[in-house]
Amino acid sequence: MLIHLHNISKIYKAGDVEVPALINLTMKVEHGEFVAIIGQSGSGKTTLLDILGCLSHPTSGEYWLDGENVHELPDAQITTIRNKKIGFIFQTFHLLPRKTALENVQLPLMYARVPHATQHDRASELLTMVGLTDRLYHYSNQLSGGQQQRVAIARALANRPALLLADEPTGNLDSKSGNDILNVFDQLHQQGQTIIMITHDPLIAKRAERCITLSDGKIVSNQMTHPSSKILV
Amino acid sequence: MILAIIHDAFKNLSANLLRSGLTMLGVIIGVASVIAMIAIVEGGQVWLVSSIERLGTNLLFVWKKRLTVEERRMFAGRNIKLKYEDALAIRQHFPNLTIAPKVGFDGQLKIGDRDFSGHISGTSPEYSEIRNFFPSAGRFVTTEDLRGWRRSVVLGKTVAEVLFGTESPIGKEVKIFGGVKKMKTKDITKVEKQEQEIVEEYRFVVIGVMEPKGEIYGQNRDEMIFIPVTTALRFFKGNDKIDSMVIHVPDRNSMEKVTQKLHQFLVQRHDGVDDIRIRNQGDFLGAVEQTLWTFRIVLGGIALVALLVGGIGIMNIMLVTVTERTREIGLRKAIGARRNDILLQFLIESTTISVIGGVLGIILGIVTAYGFGNLVAQAMPGGGDWGAVVEPTAILIAFTFAVGVGILFGLFPAMKAAKLDPAEALRYQ
Repeated sequence: MLIHLHNISKIYKAGDVEVPALINLTMKVEHGEFVAIIGQSGSGKTTLLDILGCLSHPTSGEYWLDGENVHELPDAQITTIRNKKIGFIFQTFHLLPRKTALENVQLPLMYARVPHATQHDRASELLTMVGLTDRLYHYSNQLSGGQQQRVAIARALANRPALLLADEPTGNLDSKSGNDILNVFDQLHQQGQTIIMITHDPLIAKRAERCITLSDGKIVSNQMTHPSSKILV
Repeated sequence: MILAIIHDAFKNLSANLLRSGLTMLGVIIGVASVIAMIAIVEGGQVWLVSSIERLGTNLLFVWKKRLTVEERRMFAGRNIKLKYEDALAIRQHFPNLTIAPKVGFDGQLKIGDRDFSGHISGTSPEYSEIRNFFPSAGRFVTTEDLRGWRRSVVLGKTVAEVLFGTESPIGKEVKIFGGVKKMKTKDITKVEKQEQEIVEEYRFVVIGVMEPKGEIYGQNRDEMIFIPVTTALRFFKGNDKIDSMVIHVPDRNSMEKVTQKLHQFLVQRHDGVDDIRIRNQGDFLGAVEQTLWTFRIVLGGIALVALLVGGIGIMNIMLVTVTERTREIGLRKAIGARRNDILLQFLIESTTISVIGGVLGIILGIVTAYGFGNLVAQAMPGGGDWGAVVEPTAILIAFTFAVGVGILFGLFPAMKAAKLDPAEALRYQ
């Protein structure tokens, strides 16, 4: 089992008022699964993403990632987990401006202290894989949205993470580019990559194997999507 | 890794060229002022020392010590006070020293309807050489002048101009009024000492005019008037007490030893009374040095404040940068940047500003210092030697401070960046 969330709660404090974002949430994800987490805004899906991505601590509960109880670890080790075991893909791509596609993909490798020559080889290999062989030295503002998101995918995969965590990956893209990205996800999934994708769009969620629906900080449904129900979006 | 971060820092700085430039300007001005101030003070020191040494080198000054009433009573009848004989005795006893005795009085020189009031010095031929002060026309007082109590006078440049205008004064006659001769007359009936003051008036022949030397250390050399010491004593003083002696010691390293020996010798001559004071030229230099240290501290302090303000500029701009790049910091942290990685990134950026600013500041400082040196050379009479002296240590200090300022003032913004919560930073608007 790759992920095991057990009784996770997250409560935000706004002054004296306590706002619960997640309430006693328990979920499991196996190696190689492609899971979609769907919910309206305010359902707690962003909070769940933060916890899954080790970006913030839960108020209570345990998070086991690849056999480690993450939130008991010191900060430095959590950083290493983010670097090595999790690959992030964001709605707004979050590429660094003034850096080429290649440099953006090299960034997680740099923080992993990979030698420079290896960084270069690995980054160009990944960019080739996402179909950007001829865009290695383009700056992010010279790339289309779809191309930027593919650079982001290459960056997310740089350290061969156990978990690919995507937050509304198609949210800022037109339907054609969005579909291309989802095709890349399919491809990765077939190669055995574990993917968790957060979205508000049920049609996109159907591209995953399993769909978890969140509402008011609780899981309200958790079901397999039928392969035949895949619809082109 | 470090290279990549430095590369990034340059990229980020050049992306905001105007802002980086203005921030750098603070450091540039700070460093430049440190360098320029130190260079100017160093230059001033070289100038002052050389101007003191222009009055002659390796000199000892012998004065009589002012005795208290009690001491005077105690030593009554003993052979005290500095006398011309003392000078002659030293000359005989220490043949390798050059001695110029000096006795001075205020007087007035007159020719026709022109006159000049000033201080008249009686001295010996050696004075000219010892003090590195020579006549530009005619001659200085000679041994013959001394031996014959000749009424010869050597005029400073200004004195000659006032009395004779453009005419050559050599061989001309001037009247000298002045000096107070104390006549001791004994009234037989009253058995009381009476003192009578008489102002003397004598005709002198001008034998020389001194070279222009200007004002040095508060004394205008061009207003000096010299006559033979023997003449001064005989005609104007009526005794053989001199004011002081200037002694040239050939070997700089033996100054201390000679001072001690002279002191011993003179005390012995004065029946064991220690009524003389010998000062070394180095003592004056020491005083100058002290003054310059005050300057150094004050000016250096001002310059450091400028550098500090530059540092605050860096801190300000780095805080803005950190805020602007909150999302970038969030992303970097999300994909695995450690606190130290972020800290280093922003520290290197602020240090880059201060290093570049430091280098440019050093260049500007050197240019300013030399520019100032030239300005002073043109504006100040006799200031021709006041060049700026840029010492490597000053450059090193200024540069070290600049880099230190970059690190110090970059630290707070960098720490702020490193501490950002990744989840919040990522979604910062």
